[in-house]
Amino acid sequence: MFDIFFVQQLVNGLSVGFIYALMAIGFTLIFGVLNVVNFAHGEIYMIGAYAGWLSITIFAPPLFVVILIALAIGALAGFSLERIAFRPFRRFRDEASLKSKAMREATLLSSLAISIIVREVAEKIFGSNMQTIPQDYLLLTPIEIGPLSFASGQFLIFGLSIVMLGGLQWLLKRTRVGLAIRAVANNPMGATYVGINTERTIIATFVIGSTLGATAGLVVGLYQGAIFPAMGFAPGIKAFVAMVMGGLSSIGGAVVCALILGVAEAVTTSFFAQGWGDLVAYVFLIITLIFFPTGLFGGGRERV
Amino acid sequence: MNALLEIKGLQVRMGEQTILDGVSLHVPTGGIVTVLGSNGVGKTTLMRAVSGVYRSTAGSIHFDGSDISRWPSHRIVAAGLAQAPEGRQIFSSMTVAENLRIGAVGLSPDEQAEEQEKQLARFPILRARYRQQAGTLSGGEQQMLCIARALMCRPKLLLMDEPSLGLAPKVVRAIFDLISLIRTEGHSVLLVEQNARAALRVADYAYVMDGGRIAIEGSSTELANDARVRAAYLGGHAS
Ligand SMILES: Nc1ncnc2c1ncn2[C@@H]1O[C@H](COP(=O)(O)OP(=O)(O)OP(=O)(O)O)[C@@H](O)[C@H]1O
Ligand SMILES: [Mg+2]
Repeated sequence: MFDIFFVQQLVNGLSVGFIYALMAIGFTLIFGVLNVVNFAHGEIYMIGAYAGWLSITIFAPPLFVVILIALAIGALAGFSLERIAFRPFRRFRDEASLKSKAMREATLLSSLAISIIVREVAEKIFGSNMQTIPQDYLLLTPIEIGPLSFASGQFLIFGLSIVMLGGLQWLLKRTRVGLAIRAVANNPMGATYVGINTERTIIATFVIGSTLGATAGLVVGLYQGAIFPAMGFAPGIKAFVAMVMGGLSSIGGAVVCALILGVAEAVTTSFFAQGWGDLVAYVFLIITLIFFPTGLFGGGRERV
Repeated sequence: MNALLEIKGLQVRMGEQTILDGVSLHVPTGGIVTVLGSNGVGKTTLMRAVSGVYRSTAGSIHFDGSDISRWPSHRIVAAGLAQAPEGRQIFSSMTVAENLRIGAVGLSPDEQAEEQEKQLARFPILRARYRQQAGTLSGGEQQMLCIARALMCRPKLLLMDEPSLGLAPKVVRAIFDLISLIRTEGHSVLLVEQNARAALRVADYAYVMDGGRIAIEGSSTELANDARVRAAYLGGHAS
C-alpha cells in the first residue's frame, strides 16, 4: 500500500514540479542573458491565468484556444515588461554595462515596482478573491489508472510541459534566435562582434520566458481552480529557488531542480501538514547557498 | 582612391580620457593593411569603434561607400565587415558547429552549408572538433575558430586584432599564411599586430600608432626600413 501511495505522491509532485520548471526557465533565460532577476515574473504567471479566465468567461472558447490566448498575452506582457522595466536602464552599449551591477540593482527595483503595480491593478479591477472557473474548464476530471487516481489537469500539465520544454530545446538549438539567446548569455561581447542584434535578442528572451510563465499560470489556475492577484508569488519563489539550485543560468539544471523541489514538497506534505511543504523550498535554498554556491551540478559555467 | 574602408579624424573618448585622438587610415579594396603599436596605444579601441562596439565621439568611418560610424554593430556585420576580435571572444559553452552557424549572418541555408564546408576544409582541426564545446579547444584552435566564424558571413573586409597573440610559432606561421591566402579569396584585411616583423611581411601598407594617434605610416617595405620602426618594433632580431 505504501508503494502505491508513494507513486501517487511522486506523480503529484512531478506535476507541481513541471509548473515550477516552466516558471524557472523564464527566470533562468533572463538571468543568463542579462544577469538580472526579473521580480515581475510571478505577475506574468498571474496575467496568463487571468487572460485565460477572462477569455473563458467572455466567450467560452475550446481549451486549446484558451491556452493560445494565454500564450499570446504572456508574450505581449513579456515584451512590455522589457520595454518598461529593463530597457530604460540599458543606455550604454559596452560589455561592462550590459551586465553591470548598477543595471542589476536598477532593474531589480523597477521589476519589483512593476510587479507590485500589476498586482494592485489586478486587485482593483478583479478584487482580491479567487475567481470561480466554470465547471467545464476545471481540469479535475478524475482519471483512474489501476489503484492510482489522477486529475485530468495533471495530464495537461505533463503534456504541455513536455511539449514546451521540447519546443524550447528546439528553439535554443536549431533556430537563429535561440542561438543568439545562448550566444548573448555565453559571451555578450562576442555576440556584438558576430552581428547579433542584442536588443532584439533580449526582447525575444523576455517573450519566450513570459510565454512559458503565463502558460504555467493558466494551467495551474484551471487545475487548482485558484485564480487571484497574488497567485504568482509562491510559485515565483519556488521557481527562483530552482534556478539558484540549478546554477543560475543552466536551463537543464533549473528543470531538474524544479522537479526535485516539486516531488520533495509533495512527499513532505504527505508526512507532515500542508504548511511544511512550503518550507522545503527555503530549506533547499539555504542548503544550496551554503554547500553548493554554484548550484547542485557544480561549475555553473554551462549557461542557458 | 578606391578605398573600402576610410577612417577620418576618428576620436573615441571614455569619460575624461581621450583614447583615440584623430586617427585617419584607409584600406583599399583587396589590400592588407596593418596597424602596429605597443600595448595600450589604442589599437583595440580603433577596431572596436570600426565594428560599432564602441561609439566614436568625432570623425567618420566610411565602409563601402556609407558612413557606418553611427550604425549598430549588427548592421555593420551585415554590410560585410567582420572581425576576429582580441581575446577571440568565441562562445565557449557552445559547440564548434554552433559557433560557425552564428557567424553565418545573412546566408541562405545552402550558402551556409557551402561556406562552412569551405572553412572546415581550410581548418581540418575544426572538423575533428565539430561537436565539441568551443571552450575545450586549445588557444590556437580557438583562434582558428574565431577566424572561421568571422569568415562565415563572407565579409568584404576582415578585421583581425592580434590573431597571433600567445600562440606557438608554428601556429603563428599558419595564421600569417592564411592572411595572405584570404586576400586571394576576395577579402580585404585590416590587421592589428604586435608581431611587427611578420605583419609587415604580409601587409602592403602599415600604420604605427602611439598614444591614440597615427605616428608613422607608409608602405610595408618603407616601414620595415624605417629607423624608428626598426628600433622600436623590430628590435635586434635576425630577419
Ligand atoms: N572601456 C574602456 N574604458 C576606459 N578605458 C579604456 C577602455 N578600453 C580601453 N581603455 C584604455 O584605452 C587605452 C587603449 O586601449 P586598447 O585596448 O585600445 O589598447 P591596445 O593598443 O589594443 O593595447 P594591447 O596591445 O595591449 O591590446 C588603454 O589605456 C586602456 O586602458
Ligand atoms: Mg588590443
